[in-house]
Amino acid sequence: MAERPAGIPGSTLTGPWPVGHYAAALREQLRGFTRVQVFGEVFSFKAGRAKVWFELRDGVGALPCSMWRKDFEALGLEPLADGVQVVAAGGCDYYPGSRTASPAFSFAVGGLRIAGEGDLLAQLERLRRALHAEGLFEPQKRLARRSLPRCLGVVCGEHGKARDDMLAGLRRRGWGGRVVWAFAPVQDRHAAPAITRALQDLAACPEVEAIVVARGGGSLADLFAFCDETLCRTVALLRVPVISSVGHHTDRTLLDDVAAVACSTPTHAAEAAVPLDCVAARRALGQVAVRLDRQARRAIVERARTLARLSRAPAAHVARHRARLHQHLRELRAGARRGIAGGERLTGTRAATLARKAQAASAVRTRGSVRARADAASLDRGAAAGLERRRRDLDRLVRALAAHDPQRTLERGYALVEEPDGAPVSSAAAARAAPDLVVRLHDGRVPVRPHPRVT
Amino acid sequence: MAEADTLTYEAACERIEAIIARLDSGEAGLRETLELCQEGRRLVEFCAAELEAVGRGLEELRLDELVARLEAA
Repeated sequence: MAERPAGIPGSTLTGPWPVGHYAAALREQLRGFTRVQVFGEVFSFKAGRAKVWFELRDGVGALPCSMWRKDFEALGLEPLADGVQVVAAGGCDYYPGSRTASPAFSFAVGGLRIAGEGDLLAQLERLRRALHAEGLFEPQKRLARRSLPRCLGVVCGEHGKARDDMLAGLRRRGWGGRVVWAFAPVQDRHAAPAITRALQDLAACPEVEAIVVARGGGSLADLFAFCDETLCRTVALLRVPVISSVGHHTDRTLLDDVAAVACSTPTHAAEAAVPLDCVAARRALGQVAVRLDRQARRAIVERARTLARLSRAPAAHVARHRARLHQHLRELRAGARRGIAGGERLTGTRAATLARKAQAASAVRTRGSVRARADAASLDRGAAAGLERRRRDLDRLVRALAAHDPQRTLERGYALVEEPDGAPVSSAAAARAAPDLVVRLHDGRVPVRPHPRVT
Repeated sequence: MAEADTLTYEAACERIEAIIARLDSGEAGLRETLELCQEGRRLVEFCAAELEAVGRGLEELRLDELVARLEAA
């Protein structure tokens, strides 16, 4: 035990007492408080090996709570989410700590009941709807953001990790402009007014082209400062784009809703604040400059080449036409030669054909002449023979006719009996039947009448 | 001068893209080509100056320092 030092001169208070004694007395005093039931919303629930810890909050105050883990698990509850409303039964307790351990006050919870959704979250949701209905989510998003700002404002905790992450992100983009830091508390009840003031001050600097509000992760209770109505209304009406980077990607504060851009990490916020990757942009710009130079050079050189080609064009044109004319001439001559030779060949062929035909015609004519002469002689001969034959036949006929002439018979003394009209009567019966008859002798005719008694 | 005051890096880049596209199309005459190249070079210089302005190394300043500097100016 250390020796008791002298007290503060003039002080009327008792002591000084060893702090351990006082802490132990305080614990006893606190444990002596009436045990009660309290209700509020749970935030920052953490489970340790032996105990679970959480805060109970409402709009007016808060109480750190602890509960034996076995008691909590006996309730069969899941780990409590932020905003859940509970009723907790218990009393004050105080861990007095030691030389090597920090003291802690907590409300030792012996019994717990979930009473519904928390009011704070409901308030937050109502405020979100109200701001949205007023159109305050839009103005920031309509602001033009420079892809390459020269000066950025950053609101963050002075010693937070967010600051280093922001700087690292900006350097990674190859950006080396000016960063104006406006440090502000980012967690307690002073945070929201301080952040609001910092934002207004930064926005008032004409050279600041965009403002980043950065804070690392935390419970929703820790991030309540970024759901402050005044802060959100101020941001919505700023003429400088605000990039919000508060908490992790699972958290959604009202500042995220009203800001021009909401990012999940400070690194991401750095990229949103300087959309242009300066390293890539420098490389691309170099390529563009080369391309422009090449285009300009090519435009001139190509036109010069075209001009040179055009200046040579008339002579080349004449030469080309001359060559073509010569070619036509050669073709004409060759064609003429071919035509004449062909004509000669054709004429020779036709002459030979004609000669052959003339010869054949002459032979035919000779043969015809010979045949004609032979035919004439044959005709003459035939005609003479025919005439003679006809004469002989005629003589024979004359003689035959003369042999059958009745006159010659009559001259030999025979007579011919005829009808008066000259029709011959060739039978005795016919002669007896005829009234008149004529007997024809070689020197004339004698009418006679047959006698009926002669038979 | 008014143009230089209002010109932004994005607008300059956009115009350079348009110039390159026009040049690549091969439809620009000689005079237009030369004018476009000249305009393009001017814009490239502007962009280079913008990049140069944020290429000198990151400068950190506290808000009150900036305010003091502005008031002194």
